[in-house]
Amino acid sequence: MAAASAAGLAANVFPFRDARAAPDPVLEAGPVAHGPLPIPLVLDNGSFQARAGWACPGPDPGPEPRLQFRAVCARGRGGARGGAGPQVGNALGSLEPLRWMLRSPFDRNVPVNLELQELLLDYSFQHLGVSSQGCVDHPIVLTEAVCNPLYSRQMMSELLFECYGIPKVAYGIDSLFSFYHNKPKNLFSSGLVISSGYQCTHILPILEGRLDAKNCKRINLGGSQAAGYLQRLLQLKYPGHLAAITLSRMEEILHEHSYIAEDYIEELQKWRCPDYYETNVHKMQLPFSNKLLGSTLTSEEKQERRQQQLRRLQELNARRREEKMQLDQERLDRLLYVQIPDLEQLEPSLEEVESISDFEPLFSEETPEVEKPVATVQPVFNLAAYHQLFVGTERIRAPEIIFQPSLIGEEQAGISETLQYILDRYPKDVQERLVQNVFLTGGNMMYPGMKARIEKELLEMRPFQSSFQVQLASNPVLDAWYGARDWALDHLEDNEVWITRKDYEEKGGEYFKEHCASNIYVPIRLPKQASRASDAQTSGKGSGAGGGSAGEQV
Amino acid sequence: MAAQIPIVAAPSTPAIARNSKKRPGSPSHNGNSSGSYTASKKKKVSGSSFAQCISMEAMSESKLVSSDFGTGPVEKAAKPLPFKDPNFVHSGHGGAVAGKKNRTWKNLKQILASERALPWQLNDPNYFSIDAPPSFKPAKKYSDVSGLLASYTDPQSKLRFSTIEEFSYIRRLPSDVITGYLALRKATSIVP
Repeated sequence: MAAASAAGLAANVFPFRDARAAPDPVLEAGPVAHGPLPIPLVLDNGSFQARAGWACPGPDPGPEPRLQFRAVCARGRGGARGGAGPQVGNALGSLEPLRWMLRSPFDRNVPVNLELQELLLDYSFQHLGVSSQGCVDHPIVLTEAVCNPLYSRQMMSELLFECYGIPKVAYGIDSLFSFYHNKPKNLFSSGLVISSGYQCTHILPILEGRLDAKNCKRINLGGSQAAGYLQRLLQLKYPGHLAAITLSRMEEILHEHSYIAEDYIEELQKWRCPDYYETNVHKMQLPFSNKLLGSTLTSEEKQERRQQQLRRLQELNARRREEKMQLDQERLDRLLYVQIPDLEQLEPSLEEVESISDFEPLFSEETPEVEKPVATVQPVFNLAAYHQLFVGTERIRAPEIIFQPSLIGEEQAGISETLQYILDRYPKDVQERLVQNVFLTGGNMMYPGMKARIEKELLEMRPFQSSFQVQLASNPVLDAWYGARDWALDHLEDNEVWITRKDYEEKGGEYFKEHCASNIYVPIRLPKQASRASDAQTSGKGSGAGGGSAGEQV
Repeated sequence: MAAQIPIVAAPSTPAIARNSKKRPGSPSHNGNSSGSYTASKKKKVSGSSFAQCISMEAMSESKLVSSDFGTGPVEKAAKPLPFKDPNFVHSGHGGAVAGKKNRTWKNLKQILASERALPWQLNDPNYFSIDAPPSFKPAKKYSDVSGLLASYTDPQSKLRFSTIEEFSYIRRLPSDVITGYLALRKATSIVP
């Protein structure tokens, strides 16, 4: 591995872009948002990114969603002084300095902290130019998790209806919206959607246009786990660069330098060979930092060194104190001895003594400085190589975790085994139909080689000489938003699919109406949480009306 | 007079442990609604707001002088957002509603635990029933250091390796890196 730095091999050296997000402008809603009917707002609420925009009817639905921002917020730098309040998404610029203060409303793929969700929604509405007073006067299409817990939907509906006063809302699953965007003609098709996002990967069978929810499966691995794995691998390999190996840079490596091997074992055999390694290793160039020279010590050795330095400092201080005491003693003796009121003679001698003692600390400090330059002059011929991260097999190891979760110790099965498990729950003819229409979507599916790998896995598990068809979404990241927008435009007039405020008040927050891209509704009623708003403070403390099911404590 | 305001502000803010969520519509706030809604959410203990207190009387918008913990918004996000209801309080969050005991949001584990107790039927899909099953196939062993197929395991550190060079590299590793590699595989078990 170290031989790679030979003779100025400049191939395969890549710098980190370290991109900063530009803050979003506050957009004017523009004429599109003020039609005769209120225009729906489409919000793809994802744990990685939130995407928001208008669903404008008319000949040209318009380009990408107006807003795309990371679904995180953090207080500005300097902690919680009276400074700027929590900043959201792109207003944060670069995420790294604030990494430990970032908070997200999501826990896995479900929003649990609705205060932060409120901040994200505020940000979206404000920057989209929502101008209605007292309420947000537009229907909203919102994405939710597959089989979203009832509590989370209840909280979300409460937030939307009570705080923002929207007229009606529709919940849907992002992967299904993406599916329908890519196959508009056959609305009643069957297929198998494999959707891999930031936090988890879902496999959703669709029969006759409707999600077959009891046979869905979810693997709790996605882009964030891959980034974490890559980060820890590189930090263990390069313990000197601990601070420079940041999650944002890991995401950059995953997005631009990683791929999925079509046959993992075979690919690893290729990487064994040093020539293949030379041509395919990607050397990520870190910015220069002074700390690296001479700091390749282990933690134990570092502790030893620190103790030695402490001891040395203590000795030095003790010696100085002794010398000072001696000087003071001499002065005292001199003053006692020379008890003549001849002050003009004394003063120059006193000043002399003082000036010498002033020089002493300078002398004692200079000598260590003289030693230092000698120590740092080491034969460094290729300084750049000390600041490069060699990313070799990590390029295929990190994305591989969704196929082999045992790489990071997860017990769940990978995509191929789960796929087989799901297919086995259906009769043979249904299996045939499902496999003809395998659809891949989600940001974590964008590795080069992903489609080929899924095809190979299907080839291994399907019967001999049977056929199958795998399709990747045209834009795996944004298709969910496009699909939701198309759905909103198609179903604008349809009252069977929107949950109105009246429905919310009668049937509770966890109620929702099914449609072609939604979850399956199970009629279980959640007990209402403690009463809200104006009478909350007086009665809330005592009543805690949440009561109902075990474990609910409000 | 303005000097007293920060002093009054300080003792009351510790009483609100987390994000001070007293909305302007709460009874303890002197009925001044639609005050700087977003400002009331910020933690305020600073002297930088002191200057704001002085100018606050002039500002009709921030009616937080009378509030115990309202100190001025400092920047552009001061305007209340017009499309929100300023009196809204989340029922899930503790904060002002449930008193001092329940200040935090439930996390996913707690939500799922309470969901399990609901009357689900056998075939109903819910969040925990769609978890993927554990794997039945034996896992392949890969080297911790290089990721290649590993046929050997170091008995001293339990790390897996595939070539002799890797073995010498492993034997020279400091203990924290070894523990790191094992933790990556979730193999740090104290039970021998």
